[in-house]
Amino acid sequence: MATAKEFIDHVARVDGVAGCLLVRNDGILLGQTVDDPEMYSTLLVISANLAAEVMEKAGFSYCRHIGFNRQAKSHFYVFPIDKYLLGVVQSSDCHASEMLESVHRLISRVSTNRSTVSIDGS
Amino acid sequence: MKQMIDELKSIPGVVGACIYSARTGLKVNNLPGIFKPDRLTAVGKNLAKLCSAGRMSFDDLTDVSLHYDESVVVARELQKNLLVFVVCDPSFNQNLLTMSFNLLQEEVQESGVALDEFETQPKSQPAEAAPADGQVLSEEQLIGLFNEMKDLLGKVLGPMAGFIFDEMVEVWEQQGAADIGRIEGLIQLLNEEIADPEKIKHYRKLITPELKKYQKG
Repeated sequence: MATAKEFIDHVARVDGVAGCLLVRNDGILLGQTVDDPEMYSTLLVISANLAAEVMEKAGFSYCRHIGFNRQAKSHFYVFPIDKYLLGVVQSSDCHASEMLESVHRLISRVSTNRSTVSIDGS
Repeated sequence: MKQMIDELKSIPGVVGACIYSARTGLKVNNLPGIFKPDRLTAVGKNLAKLCSAGRMSFDDLTDVSLHYDESVVVARELQKNLLVFVVCDPSFNQNLLTMSFNLLQEEVQESGVALDEFETQPKSQPAEAAPADGQVLSEEQLIGLFNEMKDLLGKVLGPMAGFIFDEMVEVWEQQGAADIGRIEGLIQLLNEEIADPEKIKHYRKLITPELKKYQKG
């Protein structure tokens, strides 16, 4: 069974990912490959909570991801995964939609337990 | 302002758009009726917080996008306290929308008009008129009232009062329109910071004449 660290390593290897981190929804950092993980962790938790509130108010069903789009093109994405939050920093020169699709594919493998990957935080 | 969001709605994949003010709430929208104004106000409030959080982390933040299963919500701060957001189909053209947001933002900035202030000023009354209950305070009146309340809070909380007051005003402004009808909400926030029942009572006694002055004119 893979650990959070191994999951992070999988995500970090996706083309177009400059760095990533995984936190629990209470903000506890489980693994990261970014500078300043504390700043990112806080943003992950705040943004996931706000996106959930928007979802409830607007009547949407499921939040796939949140994007913070930047002039420098190194956009930051938040992926809610059950009680975990994955943050991904995009490389400024990547094809965003392909990168996002790859990350979603990895997440879907984690969530459905179709692979050996299971985030247990250990 | 309506014309601005109608132009956004003409972009393929865009269902509709809204302009939201952190001070006065929902200003205009052209979304289908299924999106009720009170719900859109709540959405706008959360998006404003999301943009603020993003801006604190990234000083070059342009937009925030929320990708749900059936829709995407994209928000852009046009100026401080003024937000535009659109609801789109997942297949929308993000580049086109980004360019339209850029043009809209440029238009707002070049117009030199603080849209937020312009729209909230009651047109049928002189700007100097003191607001009655439920009306929106002008910037000048708001600052006047806040300065009085902040000074009086100093008599209760001492040197930290100014810092606490500013922080609570920020929270209060994010919760809805800056009108005298909502002033109890601000007082409630301040009371929570004061925390001592006796001091809360004392502060209430100190600010009551000031509040009456603004409410009665």
